[in-house]
Amino acid sequence: MKNLFRNCMYQEKNLYRDKTFVFWSLIYPLIMAIFFYTAFNGIMNIELEKIDIGIGAENPIGFILEEIELLNVHKISEDKANEKLENEEIQGFIDNDLDLLVLKSGVNQTVIKEILDQIKQIGKLNVPIENFDFTVDYIQSTNQRADAIIIIFYALIAMVSTYGIFPGIETVSLIQANLTNVGKRINITPLKKKDFLLAGVIVSLTLNLLSNVVLLIFVKYLLKIELFTEIKYSTLFITIGNLFGVALGILIGSSNKQSINVKTLLGITITLVLSFFSGMMSPDIKILLDRKLPMIGKLNPISIITDNLYRINLLENTQYAMKGIMILGVYCIILILVSYGFLRRKTYDSI
Amino acid sequence: MTVYKYFIKVALKNKGVILSYTFIFFILSIINGSTNVQRETSFMEAKLNIGIVDNSSSEISNSLVDYLGKKNNIISTKPDEKYIKEQIFLQTADAVIIIPEDFEERVINKESAIQLYNDNRNIGSHQVQNQINKFISFANATYENGEFDLSNVNSALDEGIKVDLIKTDNNINQKVNTWFKFYFNFTSYIILAIYISVIGFVMTDFTDEQVENRRKISSIRFLKFNREMYLGQLTIASIITVIFILGSIVLKGKYIGEVHFTKYVVNTVIFSFAALCLVFLINNITNNKFIISGVSTVLSLGTSFISGVMVPQEFLGEKVLTIAKFFPTYYFVKINEMEIHSFLDVKYEIFMQLLFAFAFLLMGLYISRARQRV
Repeated sequence: MKNLFRNCMYQEKNLYRDKTFVFWSLIYPLIMAIFFYTAFNGIMNIELEKIDIGIGAENPIGFILEEIELLNVHKISEDKANEKLENEEIQGFIDNDLDLLVLKSGVNQTVIKEILDQIKQIGKLNVPIENFDFTVDYIQSTNQRADAIIIIFYALIAMVSTYGIFPGIETVSLIQANLTNVGKRINITPLKKKDFLLAGVIVSLTLNLLSNVVLLIFVKYLLKIELFTEIKYSTLFITIGNLFGVALGILIGSSNKQSINVKTLLGITITLVLSFFSGMMSPDIKILLDRKLPMIGKLNPISIITDNLYRINLLENTQYAMKGIMILGVYCIILILVSYGFLRRKTYDSI
Repeated sequence: MTVYKYFIKVALKNKGVILSYTFIFFILSIINGSTNVQRETSFMEAKLNIGIVDNSSSEISNSLVDYLGKKNNIISTKPDEKYIKEQIFLQTADAVIIIPEDFEERVINKESAIQLYNDNRNIGSHQVQNQINKFISFANATYENGEFDLSNVNSALDEGIKVDLIKTDNNINQKVNTWFKFYFNFTSYIILAIYISVIGFVMTDFTDEQVENRRKISSIRFLKFNREMYLGQLTIASIITVIFILGSIVLKGKYIGEVHFTKYVVNTVIFSFAALCLVFLINNITNNKFIISGVSTVLSLGTSFISGVMVPQEFLGEKVLTIAKFFPTYYFVKINEMEIHSFLDVKYEIFMQLLFAFAFLLMGLYISRARQRV
């Protein structure tokens, strides 16, 4: 126990002094969060925008159109219509014969068309006007905010939670005699590699969790984005993400003889690609993959964390949580077992 | 040309970086390009994605589903509230409706008859509400002797007004132009990221202290060494830029006549030059691989986010854009977004990119001189 504590302390100091770790785990996520915030803040707070339409002064249905809540009616002369449409000041111009003039096809233009269609259709139906009752609302609606863009923040947190990968790589390099001088020294001492590795895992997890907490505090209190409403499962996913990261780091560190820089780069690339697929650069990519190749999202560890984080916190949906945790758990076990295969019973004739 | 040869050789050792960026970029461009880019000749109604769960399966509900299907794209959904809410949240559906078993009764009694899930800030979902309310009101208006006259309702709903597109005097196909805009905007991110990491990595190998010492005692002149090295940089940079320009021709070559293609090419070449000068500056500031990989990721992603590569410039805040103006990417994106008649329309933006290029060069030269004196 005392040994473990001492090992932990040394490794913690070692990591703390390592610029790579401090940059990638602590500073880089904050920089990314600021970028995301600056770029997406405008899109996250959209409001329903009314549609600007133009009509001639003599338009026979002008008074009806002015009653419609969705529309902003501007009275303009017909010869200015083209210019205003091209500058997108108005999205449709209705002439006195109720024909519609637009610059391009789109949702707003279709909404205008539907409204005008209705007036024509009522005439065509040919039933007495008193039969119509437009005061009844036949729809009971449930509002659900559509906020796919917020996924990028969850994907960022998911990615950063796997950044235990860097201390993982570092720790495992320290016990390999063919890679580092410390490794040589440790190998000739009675110190057990197993204990040293265990201490490394504990330290990696703790430090990375701490840097995650820093990011979460930053997002919540400085950027003022409310991401977490549920604590239990969210913590569980972030923790298991950390464990996965450390395990992957140990595998990357133990499976090849590349320099630590190359290994770090490999770690960054793997996590960046996986986060990219889980929607970190744009939620459209995640949605597209879910539609065309749904298996990728179900197996990609960062997608599993991202998807569960938004489901738990924004949709109050925990039905996929246990399955996600189990898949991630299996990944961790496989990674650790394979790394164990690489690390066990290593002896060197000469170095 | 020993230096040049080895420069290229070392650069190609980093092909992993080039290939991984290029691969992801092209996969995305192909997926993104699979949508229809034909020129718009007449007005097309915008179809929304809606999901329908019909528990009633009565004549009137079937008729409603048919009508909505004609006006929208019906996507698959499940009678599970959690699933539906996720579809709305992810914007895969603009609206999802549930038709209850006693639909017909509710319609006749003028009660609320449809359960609808939507985001009420989405203007499209209001259109779906209008369509539903209209259909049911029309059906109710024809209700007589215990029966709806659905064929009359349907034929009335087929009626529509005339919509004309205004004639503009330019020859640009807007849909395919959007694709080119997206493609070339995104190219700036990829070009900057690859340039900084690949050329940066090679330069760290060349400015390594031991290599430097060997060069100093060798017979090769400093000027010649530098010239060959910069020629190497230019070669690698050109290859990368040409790959992406050619990529656009391979993917959408038959449409280049319908957009201002020379604008995109010239703009990309100028931007590449500015990016190369930026790399020159970075290489003079540091030769630490760790810092270079950090700068490559942060600078390329960062400038892309604030300059409107990932999100259109109109959504970005005033302050963000002010910061963005200190990077060439901002002017590059601006040119791509503009509709121009001649290059005179964008002379300011081109000038700014070149100005940045020279500023980076001068700063790089200054730092390199200052270092040599030490």
